[in-house]
Amino acid sequence: MPELPIQPIALGKRPGSRRATLTPYLFIAPAMVFYLGFLVYPMLSSLYVSFFDWDGMSPLTEFIGLKNYTDALFYDEVTRLALVNNVFWTLGAMTIPTAIGLIMAMALNRGARGTLVFRTLFYAPSVLPLVAVGIIWSWMYNPNFGAINVILNAVGLNMFAGAWLSGYDTALPSAFITYAWGSVGFPMILYLAGLQSIPKEYYEASQIDGANTLQQFWHITLPGLRESHVIVLSLAVIGGFKVFDLIYTMTYGGPGRVTQVLGTWMYFQSFQYYHAGYGAALAWIIAGIVLLIAIPYIRHMSRD
Amino acid sequence: MSSARLANRRTNAIILAGLIAFSLLWLLPFVAVMSTALRSQGDLFSNGIFTWPKTFKWGNFVKAWVAGDFSIYFKNSLFVILVKVPLGIFLAALAAYPLAKIKFRFSQGIFLFFLIGLAVPVQVALQPLVVMMRELGLSNTLFALIPPYIAFGLPFQVLVLRGFFRMIPNELVEAARVDGASEATIFFKIMLPLSVPALAALCIIDMLATWNEFLLALVLISEKGSRTVPLGLMQFQGEHSSNYTLLMAGVLISIVPVLVIFLFLQRYFVTGLTAGAVKG
Repeated sequence: MPELPIQPIALGKRPGSRRATLTPYLFIAPAMVFYLGFLVYPMLSSLYVSFFDWDGMSPLTEFIGLKNYTDALFYDEVTRLALVNNVFWTLGAMTIPTAIGLIMAMALNRGARGTLVFRTLFYAPSVLPLVAVGIIWSWMYNPNFGAINVILNAVGLNMFAGAWLSGYDTALPSAFITYAWGSVGFPMILYLAGLQSIPKEYYEASQIDGANTLQQFWHITLPGLRESHVIVLSLAVIGGFKVFDLIYTMTYGGPGRVTQVLGTWMYFQSFQYYHAGYGAALAWIIAGIVLLIAIPYIRHMSRD
Repeated sequence: MSSARLANRRTNAIILAGLIAFSLLWLLPFVAVMSTALRSQGDLFSNGIFTWPKTFKWGNFVKAWVAGDFSIYFKNSLFVILVKVPLGIFLAALAAYPLAKIKFRFSQGIFLFFLIGLAVPVQVALQPLVVMMRELGLSNTLFALIPPYIAFGLPFQVLVLRGFFRMIPNELVEAARVDGASEATIFFKIMLPLSVPALAALCIIDMLATWNEFLLALVLISEKGSRTVPLGLMQFQGEHSSNYTLLMAGVLISIVPVLVIFLFLQRYFVTGLTAGAVKG
């Protein structure tokens, strides 16, 4: 560092000196200000608000304790439905895009020609704004002109062609298919990286011992991807309880309220019906579930 | 040719066929959008999307751009990105440096505190942020979006950058310290220049995430002049929900920027994703 004169005094400083103890905090302070001010503080503030009957505008006066929470969990049918929808959505998110992503990764890991093209195509939907994805797939599901019904009619499966997003039984699965289309990219990329770190010798040795492909998959590939599994599954669960954009743009919680999830129901309560206290309680139910499930993930990431 | 090699070739052929089948499925929505956006509404109604357009209606894009006021939304989104992305990543890098390279008492605790943010759903901050921005007089301005965007981006960025900084040899940092370099000098002259790949990856990931963000913008912005692209697109859809050709032209307009960035810079993008996921 030629532009800085050597300072013999600094050399003599011990790590415990005042400057040495303060410096790290000075570096962290600006980020911490934003983090505390615009994430931690609002989060705690909404916890406080969730104990009130509040419309979001007038002064906070009516403290009602845990009533918002007991209402949500025991009396509000829609909340219960939303919770069930979130659980199904999450189970789907943990299995379907994950399995497809793993299959794609294994197919692409053989290093055949065109790998980059396939990888790009399968990942591309993941970078799109979910609002655009929702609008694109609403068009795909259009009863009269949408690609799906046109194809079904063309191949003689007319009886399956329907009004996908306005059917009580089909709306949520249809939205989930959209989600799956946009979500295989991440597990695929992670598994691809994971697969490349499994030593080839394992496969060769097992082949000599007479293991078949299925046994290799079960005893070498799956355990070898342990670290990828932790990340992919944790993020699927976290994302599964936060889901909002796709439901909002594709079904708006309908038909009726059958596709409400906690994320959208919280939004409707807080910002459409002005039940801000109740909405805050719903938000904290989401946060509680997600934080609880995320503990192993956060511990995994913080380990050195 | 041995039977093993023959079997291997057959496997490869089956896998390739499978990949092509998946590709067609994955491509279908893109094809549907383009095929709709490029024809006239009459052509769509009488011939459907699986035919070659009678005439290519490139004018649909111009109409959508004007009717949807996309120039306002593009300008707003670009402004947010230009302020938020560099500032947020710089703050994350500042915080990640001591967490990676300086031994101090609460290092692990602070890192964990940032990590918890990875699991905090944005819903839990919405209502208080609305109140806060109203009190700060920032309601309905782009400046209401920037601080929470930065805050919610920090956990992932601190995680990735701390991991990257840790891979930079300690000897380098120690040698600079012995030479009397201040921590600030080490940060600017050693850590940042050596971390360009990680910084670039984070920039791209963050640009896309900022362009796509919807829920915070939905509750913090209601005036047209401050709408970002997802909000504008949502509005456009509401106004033209049955003008399918115009609607799909608008959708294409809003996704072309992210697709172009992804196609050209995906090498960095993929590196960044794997770096953030595989622990540092």
